Amino acid sequence: MTSPVIVLVEDDPALRSLTTRALQENGYLVRPCATAPEMWSAMEAGPVDLLLLDIMLPGTSGIDLCRAVRRESDVPIIFISAKGSETDRVVGLELGADDYLAKPFGTRELTARIRAVLRRGGLEDRRAHRDKGLAEFDGFTVSLPRRELTSPSGGTIDLTGAEFDLLAALIDNAQRVIARERLIELSRTRMGDSSDRSVDVLISRLRRKLSRDGKEAPIITVRGVGYMLNATVTRR
Amino acid sequence: MRLFGRLSIGLLGRLSAILLLTLAVEFIASTVLYEKSSRALIREDEARRLAEHLVIARKLLSNEPIPGRPALAARLTTDRYDVHWAGSTTMPRPTRSQRDEAFRRVINWEPSLTGSDLRVETVAAGRRAQLFGALRLSDQSWMRFRASEPETVGQPGWHRTLLVLLPAAVLLVIGALLFRRTLRPIRMLARAADRIGRSSGLTLPEAGPTEVRHLIHAFNAMQHRIHQLITARTEALAAVGHDLRTPLARLQLRAEQIAEPKLRRAFEADITEMESMVLSLLAFLGGDDDPELPVRTDVAVMAATVVDDAADRGADAVYVGDDHLEAEVRAVDLKRAIANLVENALQYGTCARVGATVQDGMLLIWVEDDGPGIPDARMEEVLHPFTRLDPARSRNTNGLGLGLAIVSRLAEAEGGRLSLSNLAAGGLRAELKLPLR
Repeated sequence: MTSPVIVLVEDDPALRSLTTRALQENGYLVRPCATAPEMWSAMEAGPVDLLLLDIMLPGTSGIDLCRAVRRESDVPIIFISAKGSETDRVVGLELGADDYLAKPFGTRELTARIRAVLRRGGLEDRRAHRDKGLAEFDGFTVSLPRRELTSPSGGTIDLTGAEFDLLAALIDNAQRVIARERLIELSRTRMGDSSDRSVDVLISRLRRKLSRDGKEAPIITVRGVGYMLNATVTRR
Repeated sequence: MRLFGRLSIGLLGRLSAILLLTLAVEFIASTVLYEKSSRALIREDEARRLAEHLVIARKLLSNEPIPGRPALAARLTTDRYDVHWAGSTTMPRPTRSQRDEAFRRVINWEPSLTGSDLRVETVAAGRRAQLFGALRLSDQSWMRFRASEPETVGQPGWHRTLLVLLPAAVLLVIGALLFRRTLRPIRMLARAADRIGRSSGLTLPEAGPTEVRHLIHAFNAMQHRIHQLITARTEALAAVGHDLRTPLARLQLRAEQIAEPKLRRAFEADITEMESMVLSLLAFLGGDDDPELPVRTDVAVMAATVVDDAADRGADAVYVGDDHLEAEVRAVDLKRAIANLVENALQYGTCARVGATVQDGMLLIWVEDDGPGIPDARMEEVLHPFTRLDPARSRNTNGLGLGLAIVSRLAEAEGGRLSLSNLAAGGLRAELKLPLR
């Protein structure tokens, strides 16, 4: 299996080389660029698996650049921003970026996000399945790229990162039992080891957050094996 | 403060007082002058009639034979004039002629009386004045007379006073209303000045008299300058905040290469603290250029998630409120506010109890801790930015002291309020109340 190729666009030289090294140490091939023109030539140099884009670049804003890249290519994009504001995140995701990372970030967080985006597959795959990254079950809507859960009555339901990852894993395996060990493994890949909470605690929290007017959440415990999302999932 | 006290009757009150004073002076002056001149006129008139009566009486008495004179004198007596003929040649009162005003007026009108040895004396009797007098007939006998002045005209009766005061009162009311209208731009100015620095400024329309217009113009210009100044400072601080993130990112990646775990963890803790400082500074400055739009959100779950995040970091936090509570809120701001309250609770206490519910039509989010609470005298102070409760402990205290200030400002911006109170059992209870939408 060949190493994934990442184009990194970052104007700060020191941060560029530090990020490059961190990614290389984790087995990625990195083409570092300082400016938009450099990025375009790096994109043409060969197949690219992911674009890591600093939103505040001299000359062009990262948002314009993201729009321009989206016209040319479906390559997954992760935004890096020094602003870290919610507006940036929403704008970035709406322009077709796959994820958003605020400075400062650690190697673990960076590689976890990259892995998650690569696992979801490029836009080509999602377009082939006419998939907007939306999953619906029992009236709930989950937006995987925006990491948002909406209740049947239209209210946003806020989840912790680990809870969302667990829900995403349950949705991916809807109406199938997932072993506890598998869930632990899945939630750890993304969150690093920041969450040591047992899956059982996360499940009980999810159940409470997904309950509706006395109606229980459609998450079933299969004794001695694991858990199951007992609902039909429709993807859009 | 003293100046304020001195001005407390208000500009309107002062102007009305000036108007009242002017009217009073005018009223008194006109009354006095009018009375005086009208009295003089009446006296003149009186003296002329007296003079004519005296001339006629003297002529008639002189022509009448002596026995008929007393009867004639009686016939000459009218309501106003008493005429007597005594027949004696002894000099009656007044013994000598007073050259007073009445005398001069009578002589002026009837110079023919000059040779009659006319003498008059005015005697004030109660509110009426009486004029006594005598004159010689052609046969040297004396004719005495007495005239009573008519009741003093122009006595300020109540109806007369009212008649003068009524227009004055109407004038006063009209004047006060006009003053009020004229002063309205000044009241607007005061309100606008009160808002400076609290919400976005308000450019006042330049209306009113020239001076007020100049004042409003100057005020608007000043407001604009202050606004620019604040904006420039805020932008500068925000830019510093943003720019710090790149070196922080470098530092974090470099720290990962430190081989010794203890040192690396210390580095990482410092970086995390700096990051949270930058975050709270940007949040306080309103780092977002455009305000967030309210979104329908399950606030109860949001509060529970804040608690869960804290619990995942190893803190002792529990959520005890409603299971679900959907409302229109600015989700990012509100979550930051709840997180600040929870962080505060965990910083000063060992555990945090959090709840969310609806109370009296308001959205109520509360956070309780088991810390030392806050002395009542400092309850207000801790809501101000950059305030940290205990100077001795500030070394161990994270952040810039912006946590509660951010929450308090959010509450105000949403038309709600943050209130703190000490719990009877010890610890602090923070209540965030927001209008329910």
